[in-house]
Amino acid sequence: MTTDLFTGRLRSIPAAGRRVAIAVPPTVLAAVFVVLVVLLWSVVPGIFTSHDPVTGNTGEKLIAPSPAHWFGTDYLGRDVYARIVYGTASSVTSALVAVLIGLIVGSVIGLASGFLGGGVDTILGRVVDVLLAIPGFLLAVVVVSSLGFTTLNAAIATGVSAVAVFARLMRAEVIRTRGSVFVEASYLQGGNRPQALLRHILPNVYPSIVALAVLQFGMSILVIAALAFLGYGDPPPASDWGLLVSSGKNYPTAPWLVYAPALVIVATVLSVNRISTWLRQAR
Amino acid sequence: MRSHYLRYALARAAQAVIVILLAYVLTFLVISVLPGDPISNSLHDPQNGLSDAEISQVVAFYGLDKPVIVQLGLALGRFVVGDLGISLQSSLPVAQMIGDALPSTLALAVSALALSLLLAVGIAYGVQNLPGKWAPGLLRSIPSFFLSVPNFVIGLVLIELFAFRLHVFTTIDPNSPAATFFAALTLAIPVSAPLAEVLIANLDQGARQEYVLVARSRGLTQAKLFAKHLVKPSMLPAVAMIALIVGELLGGAVITETIFGRDGIGTVVQKAVTSQDLPLLQAVVSLAAVVFVAVNLAADLVSPLLDPRLELGTIRREPVTA
Repeated sequence: MTTDLFTGRLRSIPAAGRRVAIAVPPTVLAAVFVVLVVLLWSVVPGIFTSHDPVTGNTGEKLIAPSPAHWFGTDYLGRDVYARIVYGTASSVTSALVAVLIGLIVGSVIGLASGFLGGGVDTILGRVVDVLLAIPGFLLAVVVVSSLGFTTLNAAIATGVSAVAVFARLMRAEVIRTRGSVFVEASYLQGGNRPQALLRHILPNVYPSIVALAVLQFGMSILVIAALAFLGYGDPPPASDWGLLVSSGKNYPTAPWLVYAPALVIVATVLSVNRISTWLRQAR
Repeated sequence: MRSHYLRYALARAAQAVIVILLAYVLTFLVISVLPGDPISNSLHDPQNGLSDAEISQVVAFYGLDKPVIVQLGLALGRFVVGDLGISLQSSLPVAQMIGDALPSTLALAVSALALSLLLAVGIAYGVQNLPGKWAPGLLRSIPSFFLSVPNFVIGLVLIELFAFRLHVFTTIDPNSPAATFFAALTLAIPVSAPLAEVLIANLDQGARQEYVLVARSRGLTQAKLFAKHLVKPSMLPAVAMIALIVGELLGGAVITETIFGRDGIGTVVQKAVTSQDLPLLQAVVSLAAVVFVAVNLAADLVSPLLDPRLELGTIRREPVTA
């Protein structure tokens, strides 16, 4: 238990596995709905649109949004909504890949650093310092330019630039929990270090890591969209969201080419961030 | 206390130098694992029009016929004495190309920093002082909205609105004060969000403190109270965020400069990546790391002076989660 200096209130660290009933605010429900729709777009795009994302009808090019084409059509007469829906899989999957890389590599580094301490901590701490020394987006740009311009490589690059953030949080959380009374108690009862790690430290650390992972998922969508915008992802006819914005900006008379994919990016990231904030508060 | 601080400062500075050198090595290794051989490709690209003699000169300069570890040693040796090499694309010294691009980026970054501070303080002030529940609540959600909009979208919307529709500036002259203002705003909006969040959180906490009540009972106006008793205690966490901000500014410059057509460091990075001009890319990224680490160091050196309670040597900034 820790005492909050400012309020004098006793704040207990919830025991692992204890469930607390929390009312879900309506904005969070809306956010979950948006994220679900986006996930469905990426898994089964075909049931959301009957238009083809790659071949268009050149007789219907640059048509403004209408009931037939919700987000209008582009310069080749392709339905923009269909292109967004079919582009979701690569935009969202790549963000998941990025988060997984950051999460796994970063957590292992942070865990080893915080739990083992000493020389391991010093060496890994320096590794994290070096990763942090290069501004995140530039690091992603260097890695993707080294691996080659594909969306998967953009995802790997984004993941690499997120490793340090996960490592730092994991280390801080492990150190915070490691000194808790209940961990001490488990040693007193004859528990060994792996047991303390698995049964007491990890269950107490994972909520904040999950909140960070969700937050990083939104961030990764933005970074990957930015890389795609610069042309460092899959080339057309792929329809990653960032690529759609970048090719749409060449047609000032058809602003929906920019606004439709931009709106989808903002709605998705906003929803993901809302869920992450809620997870952090509910903790 | 003073010699204690000096020892702390020296240790931190030495650590910063090591981190910069390691960052250079990391960048070099990442660039060198490149599949294919972009250096010799771009050397032999007829478009670059290099003669055989010039090619062998470049090969000798970078030690391209030697193992990677020797190349790294050569490059690191030159980096330490400030020699950044020659661009493969333009055959100009890299230092000169960066020097030419620097003023533009500096103007952009400084204006963006100022704007983001204004925005953040403005939002935080509004949250504290606007009447009713509705307006402050709306302002409170602005930082998370700012964090959710890609900065290329912000740039495109600003250009569409203020250049194409309202004719406040033209994209033909990207270095005019008006165009610089909107480019800086593009960069400032995402940067202001985490700053505003920290300010709001600190103000929320500060507003409950007893000294604030006392000051108010002494008859201080709300604005004076805000400036004297609420903003000042929020300085320390804001300083601790400066590294995050500088990183955002450097990374965001790549996108912002591309959209607004400015010739700055960001454009140099973009061109270096597109043309696989590795010495140029290596140099720009390493310099970004130097700036980043130096700012970080400055923040670490200033923090104990702002708050003497901080124990020297044990300062570890909170993990950045926003």
